Amino acid sequence: MTHPLKDTSDTSEASDTPEASGSEADIGTALLRPGRRNALRWIMLAVGLVAALVLPELVYPPVAMDIAAWALFAISVDLLLGYTGLLSFGHAAFWGSSAYVTGLIAIHWGLPFPVAILGGMLFAMAIAVPIGYLSVRRTGIYFAMVTLAFAQMIYFIANQFSGLTGGENGLQSIPKSFFGVESVETDSFYFYYAAIGLILLGVWAAWRIIHSPFGRVLVAIRDNPARARALGYDVDRYKIIVFVLSAGLAGLAGGVFAISHGFASLEELNWTTSGKVVLITVLGGIGTLWGGPVGAAIVVMLEDRLASSGFEGTGIILGSIFVVIVLLFRHGIWGTATDLLQRTMAGRRDQGD
Amino acid sequence: MRSKKPAAAVAAAVCGSLALAACGGGGPSSGGGKLSNDKVVLGLLNDQSGVYKDLSGPNAKIAIQMAIDDYKAKYGAKAVAKTIEIVTADHQNKPDIANTKAQEMYDRQNADVILDVPTSSAALAVASQAKAKKKLFIDVTAGTTKLTGSACNKYTYAWAYDTAMLAKGTGTTVVKKGGKSWSIVYPDYAFGQDMQKSFTKAVTDAGGTVQQNIPTPFPNDNFATFITKAASTNPKVIGIMAAGGDLINFVKQYNQAGMQSKAQLAVGLMFITDIHSLGVDQFAGTSFTDPWYWNLDAKNRAWADKFQAKTNTRPSFAHAGNYSAAMNYLEAVQAAGTDASEAVIKALDGKKINDIFLRNGEVRSDHRVIHDVYLAKVKSKNQVKEPWDYEQIVETIPAADAFEPVSPDCHM
Repeated sequence: MTHPLKDTSDTSEASDTPEASGSEADIGTALLRPGRRNALRWIMLAVGLVAALVLPELVYPPVAMDIAAWALFAISVDLLLGYTGLLSFGHAAFWGSSAYVTGLIAIHWGLPFPVAILGGMLFAMAIAVPIGYLSVRRTGIYFAMVTLAFAQMIYFIANQFSGLTGGENGLQSIPKSFFGVESVETDSFYFYYAAIGLILLGVWAAWRIIHSPFGRVLVAIRDNPARARALGYDVDRYKIIVFVLSAGLAGLAGGVFAISHGFASLEELNWTTSGKVVLITVLGGIGTLWGGPVGAAIVVMLEDRLASSGFEGTGIILGSIFVVIVLLFRHGIWGTATDLLQRTMAGRRDQGD
Repeated sequence: MRSKKPAAAVAAAVCGSLALAACGGGGPSSGGGKLSNDKVVLGLLNDQSGVYKDLSGPNAKIAIQMAIDDYKAKYGAKAVAKTIEIVTADHQNKPDIANTKAQEMYDRQNADVILDVPTSSAALAVASQAKAKKKLFIDVTAGTTKLTGSACNKYTYAWAYDTAMLAKGTGTTVVKKGGKSWSIVYPDYAFGQDMQKSFTKAVTDAGGTVQQNIPTPFPNDNFATFITKAASTNPKVIGIMAAGGDLINFVKQYNQAGMQSKAQLAVGLMFITDIHSLGVDQFAGTSFTDPWYWNLDAKNRAWADKFQAKTNTRPSFAHAGNYSAAMNYLEAVQAAGTDASEAVIKALDGKKINDIFLRNGEVRSDHRVIHDVYLAKVKSKNQVKEPWDYEQIVETIPAADAFEPVSPDCHM
């Protein structure tokens, strides 16, 4: 399996290697027989579900909620970067605008938070249509720059409309209204369980997209857009659709984040947020789906620990880890782990058969 | 979402009960008596690695420790708070981190009060946590008037300054001293727009005129055209509302354009650490309002000497403010005989305070602490006699005039 990042850089040359097309979406299950491969996928989903449910027992619930939200955000980026070969450097636009819209709905209409988040998500998808339409015509670094430019535009719009957004003070005091259930509205532990369903729904949607025929076409486009086009697929349309879906997932995550914290700030729209989510995705492993959650857990926990450690350089530590991972484990943490697993399993089968 | 899997099940069983116990606590943990957890915990939440590191940062912890030492020395065996701890966290000026850390401090580290918190968005987030957890928050370094306006609550105090006070102090006093015609240059975002409005009001109320209001992009590094435009009507004073890096760029270009001799420069928001980092020459002659200055009188200087002995630097207003906030919190605990929030609030409200930070200080009903503030002029290089000797105090603005009256938006 070639490295997806490398693929994006030379898509224009349309390298015509036989193994490029039809390569497996799931790195870790590539060599398994179809039956077992399917079973393993379901096991992974189940393990992910259990992990999501015990997380607030292991870490401080608001931090657990952050991990879950960033995990889905990273998955949304992975959908583009790992499975379609598009590096979006402007995903903060969807995460952040959904955070604001979710907050505005919750503040002004007092609707239960899942409804507010749904509104935020739909808004993110709505703005993703024109942004996607204009940016998917470019690939590689140009696509990254165009998405970054749009995200910055939205950042400045939010900054200017301070009457609505609160400017740099952010949108404060977003209520967690949840059908009058007081424990959910006031206690972050119970809130986690009320909100995690939305995140899991998002993860499940991503999982479905990846393992659908539509997902297969995306991988084909990533590996060889010219061949996908020759086979009759409308490449740009596929890219726009996955861009909007990805924006929806990012918006879902951003909405949960805003409700969990009780505010939406300009930080959510800043390019540093786009950078952080790409970092998380690459750290976990692109094109792996589960890499996002692993990366999110590591980065969010590390930020949280370092903030209380008294050490005066959180950025230095995160940066160093990123450099080490990129240099030593090019498939990211999860990608490397599944590579190893796959190798040992292949070895064992050789002995057994 | 996924964690390291084999350990998960075991760890879940062990930590489950712990987490639940800690999550239950929201309200005041002790009913009628004495101290929660048998100790008083002061939380310091600020920027320990970024732009406000010098303004408050790690040295604020030393200032708070000085307050603890002074409290213990003052009351000795009679002290209600025998064990006093400080917990710290670096919010990196990010509101989401501030929000999570504030919850963690209140819930898990048993903090009775959180101090400092620069950056308005972060301070507002902490204020809403204070309200939710019914624990105190004394803000020192954030300047938003919302803390005592629409976002005010019973548990949140604003100890040192706010943007309206800066405008009132500088605007009014400079006009009184003859600077009647103004051009105001402001960055076009919420902070700049607020400052521009406050300054315009202060200047016109004092009998001056604002000839021009000139918005600039934010962030911005080329101010040449804006400076030329501001100077075109020959105002006596040019007011600049930019902060941080933009302020430094503006002042540099202002000096390069030779404006220093043509119009007086009044700065909306400036800290002594800004003067220190750019050099006193760049700011020479500019006016600004300072909530506190270390070399104002013998009393301040004595405290600054003690601070310098521990940190090798002179204190900013934020250090003295944190000292004062911590000290008065502990005094209130002493008076109330407990650290239960409601009792401490009762002891603090309406209190008249004179200490090394607050002169003619009073905790107002909206939890805005009012006190005398100072219009300062930055010294020129040959007037500077020792390190950090940057400010010449032109006028003391009395507490009653320095701050805006109680905001009608504040409902506690």
